[in-house]
Amino acid sequence: MYPVSSQKRSWTFANEGQLMDFRVEQNNKYIESHEEEAQGRDLEEHFLTPTEERLLLKQYEIYLFDFCRRFDPPMPKCVVGTAFHYFKRFYLNNTPMDYHPKEILATCVFVACKVEEFNVSINQFVNNIKGDRNKATDIVLSNELLLIGQLNYYLTIHNPFRPIEGFLIDIKTRSNMQNPERLRPHIDSFIDSTFYTDACLLHTPSQIALAAVLHAASREQENLDSYVTDLLFVSARDKLPGLIDAVRKIRIMVKQYQQPDRDKVKAIEKKLDKCRNQANNPDSDLYKERLRRLYTDEDDMPAEDASFHIADVSSDTSAMNISQ
Amino acid sequence: MDDQACPRCKTTKYRNPSLKLMVNVCGHTLCESCVDLLFLKGSGACPECMVPLRRNNFRVQLFEDPMVEKEVDIRRRILRDYNKREEDFGSLAEYNDYLEEIEDIVYNLCNNIEIIETNKRIEAYKRDNREVIQRNKTRVGRDEYALEEMLELEKVQEEARRKELDELETEHKKKKARDKQALIEELMYSGKDAAQIVTEFAEKAEKQREEEKQLPPPKPANEFSTGIKFGQTADSTLLPVPKSEEGPLFVYEPLVALSEGPVMPPTSEIVARGYIAHIRAETPQENAGGFTSTLACERALQEALQGLYYTATTGVAAGT
Repeated sequence: MYPVSSQKRSWTFANEGQLMDFRVEQNNKYIESHEEEAQGRDLEEHFLTPTEERLLLKQYEIYLFDFCRRFDPPMPKCVVGTAFHYFKRFYLNNTPMDYHPKEILATCVFVACKVEEFNVSINQFVNNIKGDRNKATDIVLSNELLLIGQLNYYLTIHNPFRPIEGFLIDIKTRSNMQNPERLRPHIDSFIDSTFYTDACLLHTPSQIALAAVLHAASREQENLDSYVTDLLFVSARDKLPGLIDAVRKIRIMVKQYQQPDRDKVKAIEKKLDKCRNQANNPDSDLYKERLRRLYTDEDDMPAEDASFHIADVSSDTSAMNISQ
Repeated sequence: MDDQACPRCKTTKYRNPSLKLMVNVCGHTLCESCVDLLFLKGSGACPECMVPLRRNNFRVQLFEDPMVEKEVDIRRRILRDYNKREEDFGSLAEYNDYLEEIEDIVYNLCNNIEIIETNKRIEAYKRDNREVIQRNKTRVGRDEYALEEMLELEKVQEEARRKELDELETEHKKKKARDKQALIEELMYSGKDAAQIVTEFAEKAEKQREEEKQLPPPKPANEFSTGIKFGQTADSTLLPVPKSEEGPLFVYEPLVALSEGPVMPPTSEIVARGYIAHIRAETPQENAGGFTSTLACERALQEALQGLYYTATTGVAAGT
């Protein structure tokens, strides 16, 4: 029931300006708290600007889609939709400088698999990731709770896929359109491209679905306007302008979408390596130090002693290696 | 214990642990072997008070004090005649007087006070109350008979239980022997590894033992050994559970589905108007679980129509 869902209550926003405000606010917050890291350099040069963050995330949304498409075993569409929702929601309340999108991406897909009841084990999951699989496992599992927490534990996602089925059933039943099944390829490609936009944060799934159906109809040189006005909205003509506006906005969003420039993204990634929060970078010394502290605290062991200990052991073994 | 000695042969319990002291109506003790020796003919005199005694009146001494034994004896004899009950008297005072009299008689006889007079009293009483005594005797007999019957019944039950246990035991033994035989045969004729066979049999035996352990569910006892029933019976003495005070009654309010979109076609029209034709029919397996394609169809339509009227009015805070 979408009208009473947390998605409508908490995660559907008024306009794109509002989304932008959230993102800029997160960006500012991060820069403020990490100002000293710039070491006197220009803040804009050291940290990512909100625009750069957007570009970076757009690129990672493309990666996310590719990852899902290549996923083995093949993934149901609703998992992809849910993963996109999570990814977008997460970066409304966080900045990519704090949490690298590469890591959050995999975690989003993993949680989406679980929520949408697409059963894959973590081992099966990391088999789809290139590179060090053990490390990937660690990252996904350690970020899982963070992600769920940042989503405020609202995990149910209403995707536009079932509404599409509903519209197709209704069209087949009530309108006199010939073979509505031919709309499907266009609908699917339209929905795929809505993933790259913020449509799911601004409109209801049924509106997105209707926009996809109408778009597909226009591609097939069909006109479903009479279906919408005379059948769907026959008893509520006053609501029609709102819907037309929503559909128009969704279609414009999809139309206006531009793939980010590769070179620009590469430059941004380089910049990100320098300004990202080292405490959340699994390759950084700070992160390792934090983890070690976490564990040593549990064991009630003084941290300094432990470090000496490790150094001693390593030197011992190296000495042994030489003698052998 | 040491002072438990036969007054005649002076044997003590210490020297002869199997010493059995006997006592007769006079209240003087003799050990079993002296009784055998002195009362060879069946009757004789007490070696201490020279009262003539009969051999089959000798009983094993239960109380350490032979005087108590004597009193018990006398009391039993007196009560055989003085067997009136409370119902036989008009008032409680009369009954109490009667009991007092019995005590007097017993005391007198025990301590050899006015023996002749007391005996006369008893005779007189017997004569006066012959009828009542006779009647009460039969009544006592009846009571005793009932008691005996109960004892008999108990004995039969005991017997049956023991037999059952014995049977179980023998069955168990037989089975053990059979298993052993089977194991030996298996070891002799089968080509399998000996150790494996042994472990197999051991496992089987273990399993059986466990099964047996679970097997006999103890019959829920609803009787004490005395035959008094306990536990839940359809007894009218049980009070009904007290009813708790009831609050205001629950009032059902039908759920109103919030749709924010065009009205759904009613369930009856899903089939009638042909919506159902455009969705996969349910498989028999799905139908067994209670799913029908109507449900799926309705759900798709509902989700399509819900939220179509939505227009963004006010903003919300992310994730709150």
